[in-house]
Amino acid sequence: MSQPFIQVEGISFEYTINNHKTVPVLENVSFDVHPGEYVTIIGHNGSGKSTLSKHFNGILKPLSGNIYVDGLNTREANLQREIRQKVGMVFQHPDNQIVATIVEDDVAFGLENIGVPSSEMKARIDFALDAVGMSEFRKRPPHHLSGGQKQRVAIAGILAMKPDCLVLDEATSMLDTYGRRDILDVVRRLNNDGMTIVSVTHHMSEVAEASRVIVIEKGQIVLDGAPREIFQQYELLHQLQLDVPLASQLARLVHEYDNEFQADLIHNEEIIQEVMRLSAKRGVYVG
Amino acid sequence: MREIASFEFELTRNITIGQYLPTGSLIHRMDPRIKLLAFTILVIAMAICDTYVGNIIALAFACYLFYMSRIPISYGLSGVKPAVPFILILAVLQLLFYSEIASGGTVFVDYGFILITSDSVRLVIVSALRFIEIIFLSSVLTLSTSTTQITHGIESLLRPLKHVKFPVHEFALIITIAIRFVPTFAMEMEKMMKAQASRGAEFGTGAWWRIIQRTKDVFPIIIPLFNVAMARAEDLVLAMESRCYTPGSERSIYTKYKAQNMDYMALLFCVLFTVLLLAFPFPY
Ligand SMILES: Nc1ncnc2c1ncn2[C@@H]1O[C@H](COP(=O)(O)OP(=O)(O)O)[C@@H](O)[C@H]1O
Ligand SMILES: [Mg+2]
Repeated sequence: MSQPFIQVEGISFEYTINNHKTVPVLENVSFDVHPGEYVTIIGHNGSGKSTLSKHFNGILKPLSGNIYVDGLNTREANLQREIRQKVGMVFQHPDNQIVATIVEDDVAFGLENIGVPSSEMKARIDFALDAVGMSEFRKRPPHHLSGGQKQRVAIAGILAMKPDCLVLDEATSMLDTYGRRDILDVVRRLNNDGMTIVSVTHHMSEVAEASRVIVIEKGQIVLDGAPREIFQQYELLHQLQLDVPLASQLARLVHEYDNEFQADLIHNEEIIQEVMRLSAKRGVYVG
Repeated sequence: MREIASFEFELTRNITIGQYLPTGSLIHRMDPRIKLLAFTILVIAMAICDTYVGNIIALAFACYLFYMSRIPISYGLSGVKPAVPFILILAVLQLLFYSEIASGGTVFVDYGFILITSDSVRLVIVSALRFIEIIFLSSVLTLSTSTTQITHGIESLLRPLKHVKFPVHEFALIITIAIRFVPTFAMEMEKMMKAQASRGAEFGTGAWWRIIQRTKDVFPIIIPLFNVAMARAEDLVLAMESRCYTPGSERSIYTKYKAQNMDYMALLFCVLFTVLLLAFPFPY
């Protein structure tokens, strides 16, 4: 397999409150993320997902263990800028990550920070706004945009810096259905074009689209694999207070009733196909 | 309970900051740096000029700027309206208590401690005129220049100060972020007021002179608003750091302005106008 893009090697982390009390959050976490992967991270509130994602670009440094981004150790202060340029982060609140009073200036913010020459900036901003479908909004003030549009601007601000990996920490959780769908479309397209995606999410339908899912609980990885495998562990996920996609629940229930119906379906379309397949086989006409 | 008209809470509607009115006029297209510079010069001229004729000329000029920028003068007047009580109070105070400073000229009234002279009358009228001129001028500036252009303009005008270690970019960034978050907080406050009102709190129901009561009304909003602001600030810092922001480090600049001949002409005109206002011996 290819050289991993992010290597997490046995990291532990704890927050210190008021200089003496410590809250252990991550415990000996290890995994690799390979270039072009679409990894989702799930786990209930407080399990340490955000803490983990803040390690990917060196906002937080592990207490022990190491993280390498494209071979660069996040502990080294002089690599910080390079690492943050390679790994872009989108956060939960659409409103709290836009700094400028018009869209194009906000996209330019990161470019100014890494010292991109002025002559090159316009092309990069055009490219990034186009990639998220926000070109016609470039002169607008952010408070005239919907939540989903703000998140797309936030993504554009990162894309302009030409990162290799996009980390989204519950980036769709404050959005309505339409906003969420727009963001997921953008993310899927970026992934198809080769960008590595790490996405923390509560939406199981998004997890089903990913190539891999990591389940964390109390700061440790409890499951790691393809969504189809993971969603089979219904009992365990239930114990961890996690859902499975509706399609998965449905397939399982029908499977209990009729053994021939496959139990490991995770997409809505698969349910339809399975129903068609079985009905055709049994000579029933559907549709 | 009193019926509450919903518009009392629609703070976002009343925000005038950055009330940009694009008409594409010559003034709109001016280089914002030059525009700010010209504005500053004119404001200083108006603040110093103390003759009747000078101030009437200045007021006429301010009105002409509305015409030039194709902005209805009603925008300027609506800026003056809330200032009228202040102008009046100031006028009365000046008339009663400034006679020692302006004791020259003909004496109109000399009754007990009240001394009204032609000089003090002039002071009152000129002050009122100045007020209106400066409000007009500021209105033209903010209506013809987007907040983004203003902050960019301030930043590049101040850039030379970097040599004396003044954190120019940080300063501009603070202004930008403040402006950026005004609508956000207004919206937040609106939500909180509605939430409180739905639990029976009353806002703005006391008469306007009961300042203490009205201030107390706002307390239940201030603390949560402060909390929200802190949380937002923390988030914002994270987002900025994630985008490679390091205070004090060298950055490149996206928006660059290039002044045209027209801009220099306009600036020159403003300088000449100032000289005229201040140096010409107007009879009144
Ligand atoms: N800045 C902080 N200071 C102290 N404790 C924190 C801080 N951020 C998070 N925590 C604690 O760390 C734990 C994990 O939090 P977090 O990583 O945000 O979880 P998740 O994103 O999975 O909901 C929680 O118990 C939370 O209370
Ligand atoms: Mg979180």
